[in-house]
Amino acid sequence: MSSRLPLVPENTEPLPSLKENQGMLTWVASVDHKQIGLMYLIITMVFFVVGGLEALLMRIQLAQPEMSFISPEVYNQLFTMHGTTMIFFVVMPFLIGVGVYMVPLMIGARDMAFPRLNALSFWLIVFGGILIYYSFLTQSGAPDMGWFAYSPLSEKPFSLNKGPTYWALGLLATGISSVASGLNNIVTILTMRTPGMSMRRIPLFVWMILVTSFLLIFVIPIIASAFAMMLLDRLLGAAFFTPAHGGSAILWQHFFWGFGHPEVYILILPAFGIISEVIPVFSRKPIFGYEFVAGSTVAIGLLSVGVWAHHMFAVGLGDVANLYFSFASMLIAIPTGVKVLNWVATMWGGKIIFATPMLFATAFIIEFVMGGLTGVAIASVPIDWVVTDSYFIVAHFHYVLYGGSMFAIFAGVYYWFPKFTGRMMSETLGKWHFWLTVIGFNMTFFVQHFLGVMGMPRRTYTYHDFPYWGSMNLISTIGAIVLAASVLVFIWNVQVSLRRGKKASNNPWHAWTLEWAASSPPAVHNFDLVPPVRGRRPLWDLAHPEQPDEPNAKVID
Amino acid sequence: MEILQLFNTGWSFEPWVLVFASILLGAYMLGVGVELNRYSILYVLGVLVMLFALLSPLDFLGRHYLFSAHMVQHILLLLITPLLLLLGIPKATAEKLLKIEPIGRIMRVLGYPAVAWFLGVGAMWVWHLPSIHDMALNNNSLYIIQLISFVLIGMIFWWPVFTPLKSKRLNPLTGTLYLASACLGCTVLGMLITFAGAGLYTAYLNPADTAGLLPLIRNDLCITPGVDQQIGGLTMWVPGCLIYLSASMITLAQWYGAPDEGVSAAGHEVA
Amino acid sequence: MADNKMLIKFFIASESIFFLMLILAYVNFKGSVVDGPTAESSLNPYVTGIFSLFLLASSFTVWLAGRSLRAKNHTWLKVWLLVTIVLGVIFIYGQGREWAGLIEQDITISRNVFGTTFFTLTGFHGLHVCVGLIMLSILLGLALFGDFKGPRSDGVEVISIYWHFVDGVWIVVYSVIYVWAFFL
Repeated sequence: MSSRLPLVPENTEPLPSLKENQGMLTWVASVDHKQIGLMYLIITMVFFVVGGLEALLMRIQLAQPEMSFISPEVYNQLFTMHGTTMIFFVVMPFLIGVGVYMVPLMIGARDMAFPRLNALSFWLIVFGGILIYYSFLTQSGAPDMGWFAYSPLSEKPFSLNKGPTYWALGLLATGISSVASGLNNIVTILTMRTPGMSMRRIPLFVWMILVTSFLLIFVIPIIASAFAMMLLDRLLGAAFFTPAHGGSAILWQHFFWGFGHPEVYILILPAFGIISEVIPVFSRKPIFGYEFVAGSTVAIGLLSVGVWAHHMFAVGLGDVANLYFSFASMLIAIPTGVKVLNWVATMWGGKIIFATPMLFATAFIIEFVMGGLTGVAIASVPIDWVVTDSYFIVAHFHYVLYGGSMFAIFAGVYYWFPKFTGRMMSETLGKWHFWLTVIGFNMTFFVQHFLGVMGMPRRTYTYHDFPYWGSMNLISTIGAIVLAASVLVFIWNVQVSLRRGKKASNNPWHAWTLEWAASSPPAVHNFDLVPPVRGRRPLWDLAHPEQPDEPNAKVID
Repeated sequence: MEILQLFNTGWSFEPWVLVFASILLGAYMLGVGVELNRYSILYVLGVLVMLFALLSPLDFLGRHYLFSAHMVQHILLLLITPLLLLLGIPKATAEKLLKIEPIGRIMRVLGYPAVAWFLGVGAMWVWHLPSIHDMALNNNSLYIIQLISFVLIGMIFWWPVFTPLKSKRLNPLTGTLYLASACLGCTVLGMLITFAGAGLYTAYLNPADTAGLLPLIRNDLCITPGVDQQIGGLTMWVPGCLIYLSASMITLAQWYGAPDEGVSAAGHEVA
Repeated sequence: MADNKMLIKFFIASESIFFLMLILAYVNFKGSVVDGPTAESSLNPYVTGIFSLFLLASSFTVWLAGRSLRAKNHTWLKVWLLVTIVLGVIFIYGQGREWAGLIEQDITISRNVFGTTFFTLTGFHGLHVCVGLIMLSILLGLALFGDFKGPRSDGVEVISIYWHFVDGVWIVVYSVIYVWAFFL
């Protein structure tokens, strides 16, 4: 096989033709969850770099007041594409992709329930991404109305370019992909667990993917309908969101945030799952309060669909509505706090090994809590009225999305890389990546809290020379450059480790969930023999038969 | 009239309520016996909540002044009281009752999750159609039917999740779906009421100010009919859904607390 | 064996939310038309009602097809599948007739919010019906080639569930658009 990735063994049966290109075709035509999972991860990395470049360009433009490095029109396209890319083409595909790879292994299955549907999901992401990015090449350019595309700006006559149309179509494609993934996950997890693995014994990552999948299948249709309506408005002159025509701009906001808010939980729950796997292993202790982590996830999922109007406090829904939504939004802090407590309690008294996955997981807790705290602050209506649409909000969501989801993603990559590739990632480069990330990330986004409170609005291509605005923005830009360097280190690490990384055993971290019983990388069929499951940590039980997790478990043979 | 005055004098001991409560208590005493245990406490609590909802100034406010007060009453009657009553029935009594045909046959049909769900969510929706809702406020017999139906249908709704026959309960994951979808049904209704313009329920637009409370409500508390309707819709929505959410947490807690059979079943979750 | 029935059930749960949003949009704008056509002024609930009966009947006939499958009665399986398709096509014809009539009177998707929400809601429903008809036709085609000897077939059962869903959605759509405008 010509591919450098020593991964899934080649097809033993010769394909009809294209013998020389058999390697690539195996990938393109694959319905194997491991290959599809890896393709998800690869495409994610590509889009991460692209989205990151978009951000870097913006940060350069904002480094000093009244720069004209980037024109306002291009700037608008940049922030729209940056947000769209990071959410729909980086975080979501990564988390879904790592789920696609890991869930069957973690439950002792041979593949997902619907392998071809799995492949469709992946290729729809690629197609959607190509469709949206193609718009950069058109005369009117990429979408420029912000990733939340508020009407009437997104509609005629305010937006005559084709960008938003490409955007809605591309995201419809990815939406179908996500629903398909959600359905596939649900059926896989509910029906394909190995004997002994009851729903109360599944790894927390699998549980998170399950709850996320339910969220996906119920909230993607909301945005799909909104995109359909927006397209009908733009292409057929319908009147859904155009006030001049009798439509309602607020309706778009309700629909968008009705999806948008649960979406951010979709972006974070699988990340919570990764953290819930990494922290116990690197603290050498089982997770503290498994039931509480699992139960609180359901609570978050259920609550998340009812709080969307906290993105609309400044719209004029009325004091009563604002009050109720504010209250309900603050409630979500409780189950989230429960989780943080559980993770910290897991670390407490454990023998902590600060390998790179654990560095990211620990930093995750700190950064995510910071983002969560600012979130609780802006759940308060008066505070939100001051800082809405300012850099305070930008800081908040970057803390939870980068400091949260991305840190968890990095932890997951370092954790599972040996399983994917059979090689360890370089710890030295990992530590460089980690510290550059922490420094760069906090440098970029911490000052933005202050900028926001001082009144700097988001989504504007420049600003006046108000006191400290210039210096803080400069700090933020330098931070972004450090962050860019960190990503380069990461990519270098991946590259070098693939080629020359230390060979990894089946279970280099001495972890306990089923995926570590497969070889590194796993064989095509995953397991020759799935270990017996009599508790939540099958490999622990196997290695310590005198100290099983569940001493009273019935033995199913 | 001041609030304290209202609290002292707004109670109305309507005969039908007392009769209904007596029937509920009497049936319990006959069927279960008189003993102080957690079942009887829950059951009596359910009856007390119902009495509070129907006799207290809440009822007075809800019938004559505030849609939002009416909503609070409905939530107590449809969600809280029936749950407490159901939880107060010991398993043995339920088994005995169900052995009696036709009760057994009826409950087998009504207890079917899809049926119970549609009855529960349906009752909420039907009684909130503006024409029917206003009719019930004006027609006393319909009003009584509405409130009694809430209690009975509420018990049917909670049956799949909290039936005294623990082995017949929905498994917690399905139960969570059952409750979450009911929450959705409740949310859509709450949303429609909240965001519709004021005046959905004409009875509350300009109520006859028999107790002299209107200045307090409109001027001091600034609760206009529009705000009142919003509060009502949001109350149905947010606290309503929180009740479903809490019930789901309880079932999950019980599930995790019970011993794990470790059965994965090739098909569907059993344990 | 993958659990196809579980898949289709969760899928229609998901699609229900999609239709719910279209219905909410319709409900949101109902009554806010200041000028131009409304449901009351432009629709005919009786004609549409008759065509709706054809769709309802098709749910019954697809159930009969399922029964024939379970009884291993291959001939009647094919007959009932065919009847279901024909009934579905008649429904779509009715929809097309209705749309054509409206468009002739300049009641279009871009006319006003009624036009917008009406055509979108009925349009997406019609689209789902057409997808169902295609799938039923594939089933019929395969059956004509000898497939589905019975007594079980995930393919037939899954598509039947989808067809019932499409019918159920129409009951709700018809109630929201026609019953509400004319009979409430």
